[in-house]
Amino acid sequence: MVKEMANTVDKSFITRGVKRCSLPKFLLWIAPWTALLVFGLYCAGLCLVKGLNQTNMDNRFAFGLWIFLDLTVIALGAGAFFTGFLLYILKFKELKAVINSAVVIGLVCYSGAMAALMVDVGQPLRAWFTFWYPNVHSMLTEVTFCISCYLLVLGIEYLPIVLKNRKLRDVPGFLVFEFELHKLVYVFAAVGTFLSFFHQGSLGGLYGVLRGRPFAFREGIFAWPSTFFLFILSAAAVGPSFIILTTWLVEKITKKRLVKQRAFDLLARISGLLLAVYVLAKTLDTLIWMNRTSPAHGFLASQFYDWKPFGTWILFAEIVGGGLIPTLILLTPRLRAHRAWMISAAALACAGVALNRFVQTVQTLAMPTLSFDKFLSYTPSWQETGTFLAVVAYGVLVYSFSFRYFQIFPEERELKMALLAQPPAKELAELAGAGRY
Amino acid sequence: MFPWNYGFHFGIASYLFLGAFYIVLIVVATTLLRAFLRARRDLRGNRSEGIRWQSDFHDLPPADRVCRHVLTGEFKQRECPNAFDCRQCATHAKLIAHRPAAPPVEAESQIFGMSFPSGRLYHRGHTWAHQEPDGTVTIGLDDLGTRLLGTPDEVILPEPGTQLHTNGTAFRVRRREADVRILSPVDGEVVETGGAGHPYFLRVKPLAGTIDMRHLLRGAELKPWLMREMERLQLALTAEGASRPSLADGGIPVRDIAAAYPQTDWDAICGKMFLEP
Repeated sequence: MVKEMANTVDKSFITRGVKRCSLPKFLLWIAPWTALLVFGLYCAGLCLVKGLNQTNMDNRFAFGLWIFLDLTVIALGAGAFFTGFLLYILKFKELKAVINSAVVIGLVCYSGAMAALMVDVGQPLRAWFTFWYPNVHSMLTEVTFCISCYLLVLGIEYLPIVLKNRKLRDVPGFLVFEFELHKLVYVFAAVGTFLSFFHQGSLGGLYGVLRGRPFAFREGIFAWPSTFFLFILSAAAVGPSFIILTTWLVEKITKKRLVKQRAFDLLARISGLLLAVYVLAKTLDTLIWMNRTSPAHGFLASQFYDWKPFGTWILFAEIVGGGLIPTLILLTPRLRAHRAWMISAAALACAGVALNRFVQTVQTLAMPTLSFDKFLSYTPSWQETGTFLAVVAYGVLVYSFSFRYFQIFPEERELKMALLAQPPAKELAELAGAGRY
Repeated sequence: MFPWNYGFHFGIASYLFLGAFYIVLIVVATTLLRAFLRARRDLRGNRSEGIRWQSDFHDLPPADRVCRHVLTGEFKQRECPNAFDCRQCATHAKLIAHRPAAPPVEAESQIFGMSFPSGRLYHRGHTWAHQEPDGTVTIGLDDLGTRLLGTPDEVILPEPGTQLHTNGTAFRVRRREADVRILSPVDGEVVETGGAGHPYFLRVKPLAGTIDMRHLLRGAELKPWLMREMERLQLALTAEGASRPSLADGGIPVRDIAAAYPQTDWDAICGKMFLEP
């Protein structure tokens, strides 16, 4: 009786005409992720209650797994602002098919990053100090303000997706508010673009201004080091790739077609074009750093790559493996048309930007900078790893619930119809063989 | 950084940063407030039914939003820009002026084995409207709509005195797991409810003057429209796994289609056919 009631309630919240797995199967899917989230929350709780001594970070190695996670998910979540910008401002209508997914991914990435940052900074009861007593000399201030504002914007952009739920829109207040909010969503898209542009840049700028860290320090224009612009470019380039990757992953897990090929193709083209510009800019930046910036600080660039395991392979992997190769694949129509090539290129691009964020944080801090300093290695503690995994589990759970109960891919029903309306190729061949077609 | 902080001083950086930050906050808050105020105005103005239809229409696949003049071959391709309310359509007015519709004739006409009396006017959500001699209009489900729902488990009709709006909810019908709202073909005030044992579901009187029914399908438009509807039904049944794609064999729909497909997600089929995505 209870089971039947639960099934009925569950079904009444699922979008009409789409197929979702049974409730027990869904519960089975979310159970391990929930367990991981609970474990991660315990780890985060330990860090908040007992302090950062629960981590393997110290005054010397002050950035670790969490900052790598923050920078990576914020770059990957850039698909939300960039897709919104392309759809609502530049009117790329094909992207309507993925905008809801992009918003959910953006919300998950940014809220996850904020949660991890809160554990990292500690003292949650004084979190408001960041806003009330900001440090005027820190780029982190701009980052904090922009990310907080953008998270608010993403929350507002997520609201129409929730209110469009089949059951919720039966409430007239929700229905009309969703309708009116959706009409103004272009304003939020524009604000989101403005905020993202600056905080992506400021996150990059944070490392570029580290004069005491010649491995990361970069020259630039006025107050903005080159990393400011490289972070914006790389985030805008991999955002669409991450949407391709996640959409493909959801298609594989659910065994459904969710988005038409033309949307994938457009995202791949945009990602490829921006990656091309990024790879060019990154190469130039690296050459300038190797030949001018680093020697001016008294270091040969090659010295930084003497410390194993961070050999020159990491630079090669970042620029060629995670930049040039995916660019060439995404910009070649014949390769892009093959799903396997496109997905591999998107995965490589995402891995490339993750590696870039790793290099900027962990590798930068591992390098000795003073004569008495030594190369440091850092392995995150289980509490740090647990908190990291909690963010991943949280993301999977939010996306899973959103996919089940909200209309994340508006073309799903249409594609289901189109796919089933076509007789299977095998049947057609049999009919043709029998002279009946 | 802020005027209330110790050591604060105004400078270009402060102006720029604070200016940008406060502008962003003001824009976000104003936009949210604007949406909220508009929503409140809509609710007070009783516009939620119209908005529901606008939202539903927007969510229909492009193939289901096709203009009525495409059905008759006057256009090759055209999406309806007025959410099936041809009363506001300049193109429709021009086409009608150029080729006026034949006056309705009270006669029984069979289309694909279903009864579509030509004296009635038809809505694309499978309802009909019939002008009665006393000035009221009766509303019912067309034959395809009736066959789709078979013998309903429940029909929820509005109380007499309720105001209906074109493309708003006229009544709700439940059959098996399907729970669909049936779109009202006209504007009017309910004066009588029918249902089982009656030839109609509702009788409405005009809200003011006469009821404008230019947006409803009639005469020669019915056959091509129904042909498309049968195609849509077949596709919907295929998508729900009820049948395999097949060529037309000249058969006619059974009296109770829902009963003929007991394993199918009937809610999805009805949502598709009654334009409630």
